[in-house]
Amino acid sequence: MSYKNNGDTPISAKKFMEELRRYQKGSVSRRHFLGVTGLGLATAAMAKAMPELAGIGKAHAAANIGDRVSIATWPNYYDPANYEAFTTATGADVQISVFGSNEEMLAKLQAGGTGWDVFVPTNYTISTYVELDLIQPLDLSRLANFDEKHYIKRFIEPGTVNGKVYAVPKNWGTTGFVLNRKKVKTDPTTWKAFWDLTKTDASGRVIVHDYQLTTIGNALKYFGYSFNSVDPKELADAEKLLLEAKPHLFAITSDYQPAMRANDAWMSIAWTGDGLQLHRDIPEIDYVLGKEGGELWSDFYAIPKEAPHVDAAYAFIDYLIDPKINAREVAAHGYPVPDNRTTALLPKEMTEDPIMYPAQELLDALEFGAAVTLTDPLRAEVMARFKAA
Amino acid sequence: MTAAKVAGKNGNRVTAMLLLPTTLWFLLLLVMPLVVILVFSLGERAPAGGYQAALTLEQYANLPARLKAFTNTLTLSPLGTLICMVIAYPLAYYLAIKAGRRAKALLLTLVIVPFWTSFLIRTYAWIYILGGRGIPRLLEMIGIEDLRLINTPTAVLIGIVYGYLPLMVFPIYVSLEKLDKGLLEASSDLGANPVRTFLQVTLPLSAPGLITGSLLVFILLMGEYLIPAILGGGKVFFVGNALVDLFLQSRNWPFGSAVAVALVVIMLVAIALYLSLAGRERGRQDVSII
Amino acid sequence: MARRNALAMTGGNRERAGGVPRDSSGQSADIEFAGVTKRFGEVVAVDDVSLSVERGAFYTFLGPSGCGKTTSLRLIAGFEQPDQGDVRIGGASVVGIPPYKRPVNMVFQHYALFPHLTVADNIGYGLRQRAPRPTNSEITGQVGEMLELVRLSGFETRRVWELSGGQQQRVALARALINHPTVLLLDEPLAALDRKLRREMQIELQTLQREVGITFVLVTHDQEEALSMSDTICIMRDGRIVQTGGPKELYDEPVNGYVADFVGKSNFFAGKVVEATGTGAAVELEGGRVLSGRRPKNGETLAPGARGVIAVRPELVHVTPTAGPTASQTDVEAPGRVKNRIFLGEHTEYLVGTQELGDILALVPKHVEASDGGFTPGDEVRIGWRTSAALSLAER
Ligand SMILES: Nc1ncnc2c1ncn2[C@@H]1O[C@H](COP(=O)(O)OP(=O)(O)O)[C@@H](O)[C@H]1O
Ligand SMILES: [Mg+2]
Repeated sequence: MSYKNNGDTPISAKKFMEELRRYQKGSVSRRHFLGVTGLGLATAAMAKAMPELAGIGKAHAAANIGDRVSIATWPNYYDPANYEAFTTATGADVQISVFGSNEEMLAKLQAGGTGWDVFVPTNYTISTYVELDLIQPLDLSRLANFDEKHYIKRFIEPGTVNGKVYAVPKNWGTTGFVLNRKKVKTDPTTWKAFWDLTKTDASGRVIVHDYQLTTIGNALKYFGYSFNSVDPKELADAEKLLLEAKPHLFAITSDYQPAMRANDAWMSIAWTGDGLQLHRDIPEIDYVLGKEGGELWSDFYAIPKEAPHVDAAYAFIDYLIDPKINAREVAAHGYPVPDNRTTALLPKEMTEDPIMYPAQELLDALEFGAAVTLTDPLRAEVMARFKAA
Repeated sequence: MTAAKVAGKNGNRVTAMLLLPTTLWFLLLLVMPLVVILVFSLGERAPAGGYQAALTLEQYANLPARLKAFTNTLTLSPLGTLICMVIAYPLAYYLAIKAGRRAKALLLTLVIVPFWTSFLIRTYAWIYILGGRGIPRLLEMIGIEDLRLINTPTAVLIGIVYGYLPLMVFPIYVSLEKLDKGLLEASSDLGANPVRTFLQVTLPLSAPGLITGSLLVFILLMGEYLIPAILGGGKVFFVGNALVDLFLQSRNWPFGSAVAVALVVIMLVAIALYLSLAGRERGRQDVSII
Repeated sequence: MARRNALAMTGGNRERAGGVPRDSSGQSADIEFAGVTKRFGEVVAVDDVSLSVERGAFYTFLGPSGCGKTTSLRLIAGFEQPDQGDVRIGGASVVGIPPYKRPVNMVFQHYALFPHLTVADNIGYGLRQRAPRPTNSEITGQVGEMLELVRLSGFETRRVWELSGGQQQRVALARALINHPTVLLLDEPLAALDRKLRREMQIELQTLQREVGITFVLVTHDQEEALSMSDTICIMRDGRIVQTGGPKELYDEPVNGYVADFVGKSNFFAGKVVEATGTGAAVELEGGRVLSGRRPKNGETLAPGARGVIAVRPELVHVTPTAGPTASQTDVEAPGRVKNRIFLGEHTEYLVGTQELGDILALVPKHVEASDGGFTPGDEVRIGWRTSAALSLAER
């Protein structure tokens, strides 16, 4: 999941944003609910008494995996009750680091000494991790719950580099845009319409991400170029569009939910989960995928090269991709998973939700972000110039 | 005579030794980073980002690409400082001279209390106050429609004044508090009305606080990035924001270093200018600055 | 000569815009209080005070700390407004008029010189507030004259905090006097100076007052200072006036024990009044001895049975050898032993312990000392005084 802004704010800032977002998305109250009603405790107790029922394979319950497992993930991206249940069942305490951007996660791993056992890279970063020798190939025999045949092939592929599997899928998502139908009277269905509206009827009410991958990618889509283009001429076109649009923007930020909820902004580039949450709370806010295409992404579970507790890492990943556990994860984060067994366990409201599971022809037009898209210096400079303009 | 000289020399040596740790810290913390940044600014960006040794002025030639960030910073920082000054002075004046003991304690606490929570949280709260559900909605009730505050320079200025006001209030308050109230009576006794007393006695004698406060606020504002990021919505861009992007996003350390060097130079020039102006303003008075 | 000229030349415009004009009629009171009361919360700092200060007088408020002297002065300057009563300057009420519109100037207790200004700018401050503002050369000229008056010529560009206490004092004086106030107010102006300097400045202030010829109102808690400088002294206690009069009057005719105690030294013998007439009273002491004394002019009346005190000034107490003939000029006597002897130059002060009357202070002039050779501690002596030298007073 490519998330949030430039990672410019100090750690306390991020912590705060997470808390806030968590609250906005309702998971704090949910967790609170679990805590207050004792349901969380009940889940944990049940897991201990009947590990099978809670979905914990005998293998991990029995093996001694040590007293802790450390994971680096994204904000609001898991079900705390699941993590607690894992701890109860195995005795391994789950330590969580939450990140704002892939760049940050990469920088941290590059610096070394993270102590992470599991991390959650986005599809286009995995090859970079392999190149930099920061990630270890997975021994699939230790992941009993991972069975390729149940997965959508498209979402497995980025986890394999040079024929070796380095990561297994967590969930996937799309990058489209949210719009407030009460405020925007026309019916944009393309990125072209998005940018044209920005410069006209929705002027002053549009948010783009503080993230070059999506903002430049979707500006490229205006011209029909690839989301991943690093061609200087095409990027020059995109930059021109961005500079034209800038005076009409409400903000350049990846934290777009508050402004959408406050009616300050009427449109914003958005990710699946945010689209889902906004729509759930404010029905007139819709999530739209541009017809020209755009980004499809997928987040993975992987093990860093330097992971101190490899056994625990395998146990934890296998636990999390267990369909029963995974279904609960989905209920918490709201992103679709590429595992059919899990999807089969999801309630109809979810599987039939067009935001979570968009129409096939819309999905077909989407592209995965490429590794070079993230690291290309020209794209970075275009974004920086756009912001500084 | 000789003995005294020797003693003096020993004294100097002891002083030097006592100052050594401080000096080392100073070198380590202040000078070293500056040197590093200076060296970086003459280099090139490594292909994968970061720094690559070179000797080129290319980065400096590229500075105009961040012109807007500089103009934003150089207009909003002095403006913010000025507004802080204008708002802080009467408050500090009231606190130091007019307020009763209880009112003073209460107001001082009110000025300090916001510091108990994170600056970020407080600034974040302004998103809601200035956002569509805050002040603009109130204004709608009285018929002012479609006013946009959030993500404008005005919002950033409001954030600046909110965040930095205490830093301005305290030095002014201290200098006014130290002010001998007898001097105000003396001035009145000698025929000066309250306005003239203020201009001829209170203001010049609180100038040290005013100068300290405004330098403090100005210097910090020149490096500010949080407030523009939060209340400017990424649209009101400061040099600080440009630096964050350059170092953390595009990983263009040499250019980032050049921008940082430019900022430091501009800041030093501005401070020197301000101090000399302030010094001239206060004429031959040699009330020390801090 | 030059000093006198300085003031003659610059005299004149004493009026300030919107302020109180100096009264030029035959009215001879510069300052009047009519039933003035000033409270600070519970504290009554000035309590129903009425007084009148003659034009050109050197008038002094004298009393212990906290008795309301400063408040009285501040009522004149305009820093305080009365809660009741009227304050008049030159015959006109000044109630409600702010300090900067009053024709008086003050020398503050700690001088309150402006630290950010030079000596010359401090002194010229008042002139620069005038409308129309005098030209710079006029200001420079007058400042120069003032500096000459207070003997600080050449100090123009000095910083005030570089000056000694006495010099600061003189700058404060010059800064006030340059405005030609009708009244100069001085709040303990010499308190911060050392003893020798204080003596010098006392003389200097007196001379200055004579030269400039304006009313001085001084506040002090130092009776010696008050006695040596003032034409009229107003003795205060707890916000009220106890007695007003010239130094000699206060010394010779104190209205009660409080004044006698405050002005000069006295030997006090307290007891029960056994007899009181219009001209004097007799007081019975603890041990049964009865002393009597005359009633001072305006002295508070004593009633038999009440507490009273007999006061005798030390210089009126005679000390004679026990062995010698009885001193004929005394009619009250007691034997005693010299406890202490202090040589004061012109006088010698003895502390004599007696059985009946306790410790008694006596001040013996030099020529008397010379004739009888004086005494040393331990000597048996006889002390005594004339009844006419003793005063019968209300105790406090
Ligand atoms: N501003 C004030 N607030 C409260 N009380 C005061 C104030 N000024 C004077 N007082 C009180 O009034 C009384 C007289 O004070 P003051 O005139 O200063 O006495 P003095 O000068 O004789 O020492 C004292 O009890 C003092 O505490
Ligand atoms: Mg006093």
